[in-house]
Amino acid sequence: MKKAEKCISCGKGLIERGSTTFICPNCDTKIGRCNSCREQNVKYHCQECGFIGP
Amino acid sequence: MTKDLQEDNKKISEDMMISDEVYMTSGVHIGTRQKTADMKEHIYKVRNDGLYIIDINKTDQKINIAAKFISKFNPENILVVSVRQYGQKPIRKLSEYTGIKVLDGRFRPGTLTNPSAKGFIEPELLIVTDPLADSQALDEARNIGIPVVGLCDTNNELKYIDIVIPTNNKGRRALALVYWLLSRAILKENGKIKSYENFKPTVEDFEAEI
Repeated sequence: MKKAEKCISCGKGLIERGSTTFICPNCDTKIGRCNSCREQNVKYHCQECGFIGP
Repeated sequence: MTKDLQEDNKKISEDMMISDEVYMTSGVHIGTRQKTADMKEHIYKVRNDGLYIIDINKTDQKINIAAKFISKFNPENILVVSVRQYGQKPIRKLSEYTGIKVLDGRFRPGTLTNPSAKGFIEPELLIVTDPLADSQALDEARNIGIPVVGLCDTNNELKYIDIVIPTNNKGRRALALVYWLLSRAILKENGKIKSYENFKPTVEDFEAEI
């Protein structure tokens, strides 16, 4: 799967180690999360379906 | 309790995959005496003896969401790990019914990151039974940048967890029930069973021996 370009929570580019990209469980939107947002457990929400994670 | 509220509660239990009584008897709602800020929103209340109680409605919702998420991947590209003894049989059973790769027992460092290591694999999704016990797997998943689904208790932090299933991850019956529900939901999402009744294995089959 091609990586998302930006973190969905903070908008930072996903270039560092620890960032990830996955598909939203409810719809097929790509969700990107950067290393710091994953480390600090920052919530993300899908812009298409409104799913809030983690 | 007013009639409306009673009806609302009934509706919530009807929407659940199994009745709340089954969750209660398996001890899925029993947390620990510690609470982390990350898990605060999944906690229902604190008992008089200091145990934090997990909200089972959220557990049920999250199992459903996790199953939807897991079913988007090829089972051969998913890895489930458990260092915990009581989680090992349930994950082997999950693997048996869904085809997901399993690594029970000690997680050898380098399994996900060192191509020359014995048993090297490159999964696209990791499922951890306890982020605290399976920290090596979690660390390596972070290094290779794959998403992580985690079964988290009230004392766990959600560092590098992308989908959380709030549950008791220490109990024998609790782990068996959660993995049984997860296997059933994954098979339904994949279209391998038409309804939940078609899933023949029982929760007892998933339970580890004492």
